[in-house]
Amino acid sequence: MRDFPPRVTVFHTLPAETSTPAPDLRSPARFLLWQMRQQAPVVASSGLVGVLWQLPLTVGPWIVGRAVDRGLIAGSTTATLQWTGLLLLVTVVGAVFGIAMHTLVVRSWLIALYGTTLLVTRKAVQLGHLLPRRTPTGEVLSVASGDADEFGGLTEVTARALSQLVAYLGVATIVLLTSPALGLMVLAAAPILVGVALPLLRPLHRRQESERQRTSTLTSLATDIVAGLRILRGIGGESTFGRNYARQSQLTRRAGVSAGMWQAAIESVGVLMSGCFLVLLMYAGTRAVESGSLTVGELVSFLGYGLFMVGPIQTFFEFVQKLTRALVSARKAVTALETSPPWRAPAVPAALPDPAERADLVDEASGFVARAGLLTVVVSSVPESSAALADRLGRWFTADEEPPALLEPAGRRRLRRGRVERAARREQLAARDDVRAAQPWGVAYGGVDLARVPLEEVRRRILVSDTGSQLFAGSLQDAVDPLGVLTREQAEQALRTAAAEDVYDALAGGWGGELEERGRGLSGGQRQRVVLARALAADPEVLVLVEPTSAVDAHTEARIAQRLAAHRRDRTTVVTTVSPLWLHHADRVVLLSGGRVVAEGSHQELLAGEPRYREVVVRAPEDSYV
Amino acid sequence: MPDLLAASAATWRDRADDPPVLPPELTVVPTHAPWRVRVAALRTRHRVRRERAERVYAESRNPARGWPVADERAVVRFLASLVRRRRRSFTAMVLLNGLAAVAALVVPRLLGELIDRVAAGSGGTGLASLALVIVAVVVGQASFTFAGQVTSTLFGQNLLASMREYVVDRILQLPLSRVEGASTGDLVTRVTRDVATMSRAIQFGVPTAVITLLTVVLSVGAMLSNSVLLALPALLLISPSVVQVRRYLRRAATCYIAEGATYSRINSTLTETVEGARTVEALGLAGRRLRAQEDDIAASAQAERYGMTLRNLLFAVIDLTFNTPRVVTVLVGAWGYWHGQLTLGQITAAVLYVEALSGPLDRLVGEVDRLQVGAASTARLLGIAAVPPDRQPGTDVPTGRELVGDDLRFAYRPGHDVLHGVDFRPRVGERLAVVGPSGSGKSTLGRLLAGINQPRTGSVRVGGVELFSLPLEQLREEVALVTQEHHVFVGSVRDNIVLGREAAGDEAVWRALGAVGSADWVHRLPDGLDTRVGSGNLALTPAQAQQVAMARLVIADPHTLVLDEATSLIDPRTARALEGSVNALLDGRTVVAIAHRLHTAHDADRIAVVIDGRIVELGSHEELVALDGEYAELWRAWTS
Repeated sequence: MRDFPPRVTVFHTLPAETSTPAPDLRSPARFLLWQMRQQAPVVASSGLVGVLWQLPLTVGPWIVGRAVDRGLIAGSTTATLQWTGLLLLVTVVGAVFGIAMHTLVVRSWLIALYGTTLLVTRKAVQLGHLLPRRTPTGEVLSVASGDADEFGGLTEVTARALSQLVAYLGVATIVLLTSPALGLMVLAAAPILVGVALPLLRPLHRRQESERQRTSTLTSLATDIVAGLRILRGIGGESTFGRNYARQSQLTRRAGVSAGMWQAAIESVGVLMSGCFLVLLMYAGTRAVESGSLTVGELVSFLGYGLFMVGPIQTFFEFVQKLTRALVSARKAVTALETSPPWRAPAVPAALPDPAERADLVDEASGFVARAGLLTVVVSSVPESSAALADRLGRWFTADEEPPALLEPAGRRRLRRGRVERAARREQLAARDDVRAAQPWGVAYGGVDLARVPLEEVRRRILVSDTGSQLFAGSLQDAVDPLGVLTREQAEQALRTAAAEDVYDALAGGWGGELEERGRGLSGGQRQRVVLARALAADPEVLVLVEPTSAVDAHTEARIAQRLAAHRRDRTTVVTTVSPLWLHHADRVVLLSGGRVVAEGSHQELLAGEPRYREVVVRAPEDSYV
Repeated sequence: MPDLLAASAATWRDRADDPPVLPPELTVVPTHAPWRVRVAALRTRHRVRRERAERVYAESRNPARGWPVADERAVVRFLASLVRRRRRSFTAMVLLNGLAAVAALVVPRLLGELIDRVAAGSGGTGLASLALVIVAVVVGQASFTFAGQVTSTLFGQNLLASMREYVVDRILQLPLSRVEGASTGDLVTRVTRDVATMSRAIQFGVPTAVITLLTVVLSVGAMLSNSVLLALPALLLISPSVVQVRRYLRRAATCYIAEGATYSRINSTLTETVEGARTVEALGLAGRRLRAQEDDIAASAQAERYGMTLRNLLFAVIDLTFNTPRVVTVLVGAWGYWHGQLTLGQITAAVLYVEALSGPLDRLVGEVDRLQVGAASTARLLGIAAVPPDRQPGTDVPTGRELVGDDLRFAYRPGHDVLHGVDFRPRVGERLAVVGPSGSGKSTLGRLLAGINQPRTGSVRVGGVELFSLPLEQLREEVALVTQEHHVFVGSVRDNIVLGREAAGDEAVWRALGAVGSADWVHRLPDGLDTRVGSGNLALTPAQAQQVAMARLVIADPHTLVLDEATSLIDPRTARALEGSVNALLDGRTVVAIAHRLHTAHDADRIAVVIDGRIVELGSHEELVALDGEYAELWRAWTS
């Protein structure tokens, strides 16, 4: 039987792992079924154990009735002891299996919850930089944080519903055998009691929805205040926004009260109905005792059963509700998980040239050549076009190549159409990916087009550090040496070259100093320099840096440019920037215009002979505001 | 410059020495050992898990980073004061719910009465009237339930609204130096997640706890009044569970907070992986990220197992102690019945009472995690209120606009001064650029000059008055630090502009908009100044957002601006497009610009070069170039 946490290695399987089965993504229902099948033994056994856990409730009242009839009223000590002994046994069995049930249910819940989180993680790693382009990241994250819990809840309620079904049938048999008339009454009453509350549920849900919406508006107001707190405390405006918040808070309160009223109404109707039913049962039961068709003990059992039956019916409704919610969640999960990567493994993989060959990296589209062993600086008045060049050099899809991710259409009516559209778009994307994968990439390293080489090989040899490069939570050491392969001296060297010693100094604990998520807590310049240190420490054969010092002051920038040139001596390096402080240290400078290389040479040569270059690099003073 | 990496060897760790994510006690589980060994191992695992949970709990109560957390007593005191202020509605809630519980407890007694009549063979007479009495009691119970629930809702919602408004109010009073220094991530978590968990606790947990307590206490009373003989053995059997329930309640707090922490970790690791997907791909970190996720989940699974064991221990006791009384009631009932001490009706009522007792208790156990987590969240929210103010406003009024900094020293960490006795005097109306390498202290200098931090020694005065002792409203009219101003608040355009002078009329707002060249597009908005902007409303373009930010400053009208180029609104790339707006803002003010770009410095009236916490060069561009020092060298590198 499976236990938690489950092992999930599908989508992106590491060398040492074997892949676990892929989820069934043909439809939301199939996805849920797949999840259930994955842990069928756990769910089935918790259903079975649940039946035994319910024993005190299902046969308890019957035993009490027997004890009253055969023992108390008949005046038999033996019978009393026998029946109470049985009751004790049933109680102990219930307690023991209650624990087993709880253990199994937690297990199935967590297998589903953790399993879904792992699926999402593996998918994210598989898609890499294309993930945010093909699916909204918020959706992907909410699958792991919210929807995964719905799947867990579904396994739990399924087990409970299974066991309650058996219990319901058992009790139905007992009451019908005891007294067909009263038995029918008990059986019929339960659905009626639950059914009466149903019409009240719709207005309740409407009000709860409005409360939820107001609460979320309120939360975003609070988030907004915190996000702009520096301004509010620095410039002022506390009372305006404090007042706005208080107003929305009162609106939310009113919505909450209104929902609470309906909740109270439903609950009191429930009390009223079940109370009246009890009276009716009592009345009919008393009559039956008088007419001799029922014993006193049996009447006592009926009292016990009268309210028990509500439980299974409520569980059934809960099951339907959670199933609906799980289906909605499953649709989101399927959307997030069905996205497939655009890469196709080359049929006959080629090898990149040996590092010793000192090969050039050539981009066909722009005519750019990164000469082996040199520091090339790319200058362009349009920063996006240098960034696009950098992406191409490392075989990354550039930002404008992917249409924005398709959002789920809202509303139930548009659901079907949405599904068809999605399927069509998926096929269209896959077809385009196929076409694109068959074509050469357009960048050749030592004459070998990058599309002919396995992607991992390209990533290992050519590192592109773009402006979106991110730091992860962990120690400074983990940030500079995420793979754990450096010596201390290498890491120190990288930190010095990136002029990031002050980060080391600022963090309590040096290398062990903790960085927050995404490097929050560091200044923009500090973050950028740690990212640079990490890229340098990775020591790739070809290093492409996009605007590596855009958030750094001129002093530090000059220092970095100088140190980096020495650090990467004889290694192929490309830097995109327009800062003159870099250009002095470049072995070659390349000027891009309209996406093409229009001039190249040394900084001095270009300054002297290329007016377009001068215009970009030595900017007019009116550019400044002081 | 000293070598900042001198201590590097001492803090570098060998990864081979990293401890495993889980200690071996938790991962090595004996499966084919004698049961004694297995039970001992299970106990060890439970203990280790408890210690882990307690560690997480202790850390959450005493965070190393972020804002402080209030202690439990403060939470209780605060809640008590809120309840005291709503004494009447609290009393009504207790009273009405109590009446509902009493009515619910009357029903079994009447049913017992009925059984007695039936058993005596006298059921026929007065059966209808007894049934009517029960119906009346049921109707009463339903009405009290309704009224009780409504008062609970009103009470809970009012309490909740005052709590969250109080918290936001306190956030809006946080000291300037803390707001500028700390990351806001922790505050965001508090106003989102903590407010949500506190809400759930107050809305559902508090009323459930009140009703459960009432029901349990009243049930015991009802059982005793039904029959002491039947009640005593049952209560004796139930009483030991009190110990276990209390034990559980004590442990559950650490458990649920530790569980919650593991889920935050899982989510933040996943968020980082998803948002940093490109970085992961570029550096080949897939394996690392997957391991990290699996480690987080493994840790979470251990926290869940601890909670599961805790609940199992509780359920074992509750299931036994609450169900065995039924057996004893029947046994004692039989004895009493045969000896003429008890009627069948009393026995029936007692059985029904015993069965009814476990219901509310189950519900309380279900709510207890919510209450515990809610209490922890409340402690974090109240922690915000515990942040002491950073300044004591004086009464002196500045007599001029001259900003004077003398002998300024400042340290973020004791013993690590980042400024070493800096004297700094911008002339009124001049543009003064501050340049220097990162870590040189230039940003710190800006913060001292803007009155955000207090220098460790020396003073910053404006018009002869200590800047740090000015009331905040006064300070804002003197000097403003311009950072991150691109934030557009959720609210009307007017709300977004009048920040500095909330009493400003529309005319002043239009003047400010006109000055930064935004009057045209604001006029074209559907509702003019009342148009709602910010997240979820009309989105402004980056240039419009910057203009709004500048209009804000024009209205606030401080005579001195400190611009930090690293974070400020004035992005060199858009500066050209907004040149007119910027000039309108800066005209006639003293400007201290902490400059990254040398063009900024070049155009300033004077330039100060800060290195290692000291001003090493000060003068106009030409003077500094002639001096042939740091600045001149940089400038040559920039322009040659």
